[in-house]
Amino acid sequence: MINIFQVAYKNLLRKKARSALTIVGIALAAWVLVSLLGFNRGYEMSLNRDIDNLGFQILVTAKGCPYEAATLMLKGGTGLRYMKADVVAQISKEPEVDEITPMLMQAVFDPNKGESGGYSAYLGVDPATFPKMKSFLEFKQGKWFTDPEALEAVMGYEAAELEQREVGDPLLITEKNVEVKVVGILKRTGTQDDGTIFLPLKMVQKTFDKTDDLTGIGIKVKKEASISKLEDKLYQLPDVQVVSMSQVKQTIMTLVSTAKVMVFSIALIAILISVVGVVNTILMSVMERLQEIGILKSMGATAWDIFKLIWLETLILCISGGVIGAFFALGTARLTDVLIRRLLPYAPSGGLVQINPSLVLLTFGIVILIGLLSGVYPSWKAGRVRPLEAIRSQVE
Amino acid sequence: MNSGGADMHKKTRILWLLFLLLVLPARESRGAVGCDLNDPDRDVARLFPGSTGFKTNYVSIDKKGGPALLAQIEDRLGDQFQGLYETIDVPYTLYEVFKGKEKIGYIHGVNEKGQYGGLQVFLALDLNGVIKTFYFQKLTSKYGRELRDSTFGDQFVGLSLKDFYRYDVKTGSTGGDAALEKIKNPVPEAEPDFKAALRATKKNLILVDEFILDNKYLPYHQAAGGTKS
Repeated sequence: MINIFQVAYKNLLRKKARSALTIVGIALAAWVLVSLLGFNRGYEMSLNRDIDNLGFQILVTAKGCPYEAATLMLKGGTGLRYMKADVVAQISKEPEVDEITPMLMQAVFDPNKGESGGYSAYLGVDPATFPKMKSFLEFKQGKWFTDPEALEAVMGYEAAELEQREVGDPLLITEKNVEVKVVGILKRTGTQDDGTIFLPLKMVQKTFDKTDDLTGIGIKVKKEASISKLEDKLYQLPDVQVVSMSQVKQTIMTLVSTAKVMVFSIALIAILISVVGVVNTILMSVMERLQEIGILKSMGATAWDIFKLIWLETLILCISGGVIGAFFALGTARLTDVLIRRLLPYAPSGGLVQINPSLVLLTFGIVILIGLLSGVYPSWKAGRVRPLEAIRSQVE
Repeated sequence: MNSGGADMHKKTRILWLLFLLLVLPARESRGAVGCDLNDPDRDVARLFPGSTGFKTNYVSIDKKGGPALLAQIEDRLGDQFQGLYETIDVPYTLYEVFKGKEKIGYIHGVNEKGQYGGLQVFLALDLNGVIKTFYFQKLTSKYGRELRDSTFGDQFVGLSLKDFYRYDVKTGSTGGDAALEKIKNPVPEAEPDFKAALRATKKNLILVDEFILDNKYLPYHQAAGGTKS
């Protein structure tokens, strides 16, 4: 015997094009919703990971000094400002400081890079403190240098790939004509470290004649200590700027929130349009089948039976659209990632759209709710049909 | 099988295909690094004066022919692909250059391990695979100035893969090829980078022959005792 599900399914098949278009509308809304929820989750995860991968919560640089290799390159290797190495001793005294690592970035012009030359950047790091702070870095080949004055280098994966270097190979610091030996190649991290060439701090200071200078100091704060309290103390130091990673995160999140409001508004509109589409489709279907509904009622079907049938049709449409939309969102996550990256003022590394089963289930829940709500009116209207009037109206 | 069952199978296959097309690209992939022109608009116009446009194609040995093709390329090169970065999945960028609607040549670059860093050797070729311009896009060397001087690159102009088939990339022996013997290393101390430049040129020409010239120069390799075809 045919059951109510089969009747509802067959009813939808009677107007295939209309049902398909309604499903497409719901699928699009579900796609937008899953993608946006995935973005909301993925962006914060990526940003947190990028900041955690820095290894330190506070970066102290000389006033006006670009603290990122990318910024340094954009400025053509210029704009470096220095602070004296004794700042490290001053900062170390603060009780909030857990670990501290001094750094010296240097850039040299290489006339043989590209048609009109280019810059190569080197980051001098202290082998006693830097690897400990960046303990999550893994090696594809080799290991960290241990001698602070050794003519040795550790290369980020992309830097090594560009220079085609492996452990044991020599590497030339152009302009200075200094040869160093590659002792380690890092695995990819998806961060700025991939493109960095790390050298021992004292060797960089000596090679570039900056024996008492630093461009950055990374600080890891004790877990129980107050970061803002330490920041306040650091602001008192002369001629330094304090870059707090929590501030960076907050600033980025504020920048991104505008874009987020915009895309969530689009999602809301998409959902409203799909609700109207569903109500319209089911209502039209009810109007066209008044005579049929009248006959069903005259044969003994109750108002609740009719209500259930129409409601079920709405649910089938919504669940089908939800399933298609969720799969589409999974399949186009990379594309969505690319599009969102173009829209945002800053995008961290790694996947920006992270879709997991709970997000998909949440979207199903929302879609089913939409289905239940948008099906109420047409189902109620169908349930209230008077059999004789309905049969007569269509005959006339 | 009845027609209903066949239809169902067809629909299932289409659904699977859609699923694969949609879901597989979402997987994270991090392949090897390729070798692109830094500024294609500027560089193509400079390497092919009079050209009006270009088309960019991406090819990899992996996708074009897999391990069998790699073995053939290594055989033609006379050396194995080496190290962390000379791998089967390197995406090569091949620029087809046009003057109006007419194709006038190709530009192709390869990465090569040099003595102190990576080399990027680009060749501008005519439609027969003859070198029109030799260009080091990147070169880390103590003797970069001499090697990037136009007098060095000009020595390659007019050569094709035919001239390289006897060149031994391991030893640097020209095998008595008169055209290759004319190519002089400007600085004796730069020998490793000089050899790397020649290996990169031979590799570059072999890849272009395999990717786009339908192995036009393979008979020369076979005549020289190449084992595979």
